[in-house]
Amino acid sequence: MREIVTIQVGDFANYIGSHFWNFQDELLGLAEDDTADPIFKNNCMDMDVLYRTGLSHQGAYTYCPRLISIGSQGSLGTLSSSGSLYGDSSSSDASDTLTWKGAVTKLAEKPHEKNLFLKSLSEEGEDDPNIEDKDRVQCLERDVKFWSDFSKVHFHSKSLYELNGTWTDFQNFDNFGVGKEVLSGGFHMEELNDRLRFFVEECDHVQGIQCMVDDSGGFSGVASEFLENIADDYTNIPVLLYSVRDTFSYTDATNQRKLIARSLHDAVSLSKLSTYSSLIVPVGLPSLGGLAPSLCVRDEKNFHSSAVYASAIHSISAPFRFKPAGPISSTTYAAGSLDIGEIIHILAGQRQNMVAILDVSMPAPSLSVSDKANPGGILNSFHALGTEIGDDSEDLYMDESLIFNGALYSGADRASVSQVKDSICNVYDKGLRPKPRPSHLSISLTPIPIPLPFPSIFPTSTSRRGEILADQPLVGPPKGSLEVESVPVMTRLRSSIAIKPFIESRYNNLLRHGMLRGAKGADLLRDWGFGKDEVDDMGEYLSKMLRIFNPSSEMTSDSD
Amino acid sequence: MSIRVLNPNAEVLNKSAALHMTINAAKGLQDVLKSNLGPKGTIKMLVGGAGDIKLTKDGNTLLKEMQIQNPTAIMIARTAVAQDDSSGDGTTSTVLFIGELMKQSERCIDEGTHPRFLVDGFEIAKRATLEFLEKFKTPVVIGDTPDKEILKMVARTTLRTKLYEVLADQLTDIIVNAVLCIRKPEEAIDLFMVEIMHMRHKFDVDTRLVEGLVLDHGSRHPDMKRRAENCYILTCNVSLEYDKSEINAGFFYSNAEQREKMVAAERRQVDQRVMKIIELKEKVCSGTDKNFVVINQKGIDPPSLDLLARAGIIALRRAKRRNMERLVLACGGEAVNSVDDLTEDCLGWAGLVYEHVLGEEKYTFVEQVKNPLSCTILIKGPNDHTIAQIKDAVRDGLRSVKNTIEDEAVVLGAGAFEVAARKHLLDNVKRTAKGRAQLGVEAFADALLVIPKTLAENSGLDTQDVIVSLQNEHDQGTVAGLNHHTGDPIDPQMEGIFDNYSVKRQIINSGPVIASQLLLVDEVIRAGRNMRKPA
Repeated sequence: MREIVTIQVGDFANYIGSHFWNFQDELLGLAEDDTADPIFKNNCMDMDVLYRTGLSHQGAYTYCPRLISIGSQGSLGTLSSSGSLYGDSSSSDASDTLTWKGAVTKLAEKPHEKNLFLKSLSEEGEDDPNIEDKDRVQCLERDVKFWSDFSKVHFHSKSLYELNGTWTDFQNFDNFGVGKEVLSGGFHMEELNDRLRFFVEECDHVQGIQCMVDDSGGFSGVASEFLENIADDYTNIPVLLYSVRDTFSYTDATNQRKLIARSLHDAVSLSKLSTYSSLIVPVGLPSLGGLAPSLCVRDEKNFHSSAVYASAIHSISAPFRFKPAGPISSTTYAAGSLDIGEIIHILAGQRQNMVAILDVSMPAPSLSVSDKANPGGILNSFHALGTEIGDDSEDLYMDESLIFNGALYSGADRASVSQVKDSICNVYDKGLRPKPRPSHLSISLTPIPIPLPFPSIFPTSTSRRGEILADQPLVGPPKGSLEVESVPVMTRLRSSIAIKPFIESRYNNLLRHGMLRGAKGADLLRDWGFGKDEVDDMGEYLSKMLRIFNPSSEMTSDSD
Repeated sequence: MSIRVLNPNAEVLNKSAALHMTINAAKGLQDVLKSNLGPKGTIKMLVGGAGDIKLTKDGNTLLKEMQIQNPTAIMIARTAVAQDDSSGDGTTSTVLFIGELMKQSERCIDEGTHPRFLVDGFEIAKRATLEFLEKFKTPVVIGDTPDKEILKMVARTTLRTKLYEVLADQLTDIIVNAVLCIRKPEEAIDLFMVEIMHMRHKFDVDTRLVEGLVLDHGSRHPDMKRRAENCYILTCNVSLEYDKSEINAGFFYSNAEQREKMVAAERRQVDQRVMKIIELKEKVCSGTDKNFVVINQKGIDPPSLDLLARAGIIALRRAKRRNMERLVLACGGEAVNSVDDLTEDCLGWAGLVYEHVLGEEKYTFVEQVKNPLSCTILIKGPNDHTIAQIKDAVRDGLRSVKNTIEDEAVVLGAGAFEVAARKHLLDNVKRTAKGRAQLGVEAFADALLVIPKTLAENSGLDTQDVIVSLQNEHDQGTVAGLNHHTGDPIDPQMEGIFDNYSVKRQIINSGPVIASQLLLVDEVIRAGRNMRKPA
């Protein structure tokens, strides 16, 4: 088995993670549920890749995500940082203090109140017949304050880490420098390394680290320091990094100072994060309106947008955990197993590009419909989940990896592996699209299950199995987890020249605001703890990332 | 007010408002930390919104937990925390001292003194106090065999302010022995060579010193021994797992057969490395009752574990980077990065290696080593917050012993130094200052008393009585500190109450610097600008 360790850094990364683990939890639940759709019983996914089996102090077996989540202090809401499974015998009774015989002052924060959904998870709310699932879904639509508000997963006691001593309030924890500084004391780093070691040590053969980083603020600095350590300690473990952003991080800067700070942050962040990871995938749109009409997402809700990103990341991760291909299972339920190292290798391609674009089609259209109405149209249903993406129709060196989860053939009928394969190969064979080489196709018949705490973001015309029904009215209240059981999702990681504008704008900003003589942001970079040499190195690194897209320098880039 | 033109959102406070804002912030922070100080202080239990508990009597921990928002308070807190980072203690004292300097200044400023005079006075007083400290300190002869008693007294003084007496006294011995264990003549003490390990288990007085190492992981093979005596220890950083080279080398397989071949070749290489280790084991152990333990920083995959287990070797993987160094210091031998030139000289030695399992957590004890230069303090506690608090105290204790050895001096505690320094400032220094700067010297001198005053207050004694009787003693030429039980003057030397010289020195150094900066603030502009590090 090839284990994956997941790392989430920053609040929005934890929002996405919360949805991501809800999917896993739902899959685990459905596999054991006899009344569930049989497709979930034979999902041929090995959950041990993401989860670990443990033993609590009370001698009970536990099954928890192999996860480290880093957030700011107080971002856990009602969730205890030591989780609920590894019961601590602590009592908050001041008289139980064992280490001090003198006076004890107790300073208690007002306990966070659990919402209806969380209450139904613990026993407290279960016997109340007046509260229905409808109310629980509504309460989440109304108000989500913390990522834990909609999480139904039990975490290990070493998983959740709160970063204290940041010396700044949340608004000001907004640049690479402050994040870097928080970890500079060494204490946090030691603790984080110890926790990571705990999860890695028990793995027989780690395939990689999957990492989600909210890179819009200080957490980018935190992550890069952590990743630097990881790169030192675990030299051969590939790191797949999603740099994620919520819609708020795209709000216009109020003044020029902030604008410069932000553009420098973006440049530094890309340069540093890509230095310490194997593949970086920017995820996050200023608005998810472009995904309409197949989804209706409220931009102002992180609860909504994170759900879409989580679906895509979940879909990408499916082939990492297909069970070893037996002669039968591979053809009937899934095909195209892949590990993190392989996907990175495929996407790096000849150019050794390491910034990939994530595209998603959710819910993915039925094969028969798209085949008839618009041959090859299935690949036109993709939406990119990143910004500043150019055109790659002319790019001959494009590499991509496509993953289709739970395709529908027509109506509510599920497509077989070969139908999906034919349908997609058709697009290439007919020359409707320049075929990238080597491209990879992974197919899983298991769709993405929609757990109860999933937001209501599906249009009225969505069926139980996630098909867009043509004969349904287009206008109406959005559907959620109570009406939609599962959705087919198709995702693609694309490594092409289309990412060039993204890197280019960051490189130019670093040059203009940080490196040129008299640049306005040079002091700022110094404040963040970067000497001139280090800034030059970052600039050189970004320019190297850009050069690979330049055909004339192709020959020279091979030499190193 | 031009800032308003540039940034309409900016909020500007004028001079006197700014001054009062900073003074209030300093006093506020002082109030929060005041009750922490000394062996009679109050411990604080912080309960978070989700019921998480944190227990602390340490100013440093408390400041970090408080999520301070006020920029002045942040500036003071940063200074105080920096104090802790560099000398290991004195956070609370620093905050109290700065707060008191601001309080004394406020009085003068209200009476019409310009802050500039105070600042000048502070500078004179600071220099004089530092000179006085040089004379006042008690030199400690360290040499090859340091006086254990004095080290214990310093450690005990620190620990008793963090933990109750019985526990503090027990830890005192552990801590002093730990530092002496890792101390190498002619070299700076590296406290990282003391591993602090914890187990959530039983009660806190079980904490002990392990001469050797405790690792927080165990072997990963069911057939490996759980306990072995007379062990050779191989410390290495060699990958004993099969890596796919394709990722790094960019190698493409043209067909399945080639792939199989590559995989087999790769596997063979790993196996060869394992075989080299086994060869060495056979060479040194065969025919004896000796055992062989491999502790590897990199991974060991199941096939390799199998081979090692069959050869009767105990193998641990993914050891902490720092433990590589510690293991060599504890057991001898050297840490190897390749198995090519393995000889017996690379191996360390431990009389006993055994595994201890608690739930899903495994611990491996490497004990009975020869001439250890690294050791482990094993903390046991019933729950996480108790462990965390003991751990903090142990760290502070270790620092205090290290400081003493490096300073080659200590300072009489229980408020004795502060009272003596004040007397010196008022009697000898004040008159040398010009004009109104005298007020600054006086304010500084009075501010020093915050330490004995707070100690008295926390012990439930009458502050004024205590200060008067202490001053009387000093006027008669005896150096006296405060007995926190009775409030009577005592001789700290007799009672064995000593503080670190470097900690005191730093408090006197940094306190007035921050206070002066705050006093000279003319305007506070809030324009969303983040307060950065103090200069």
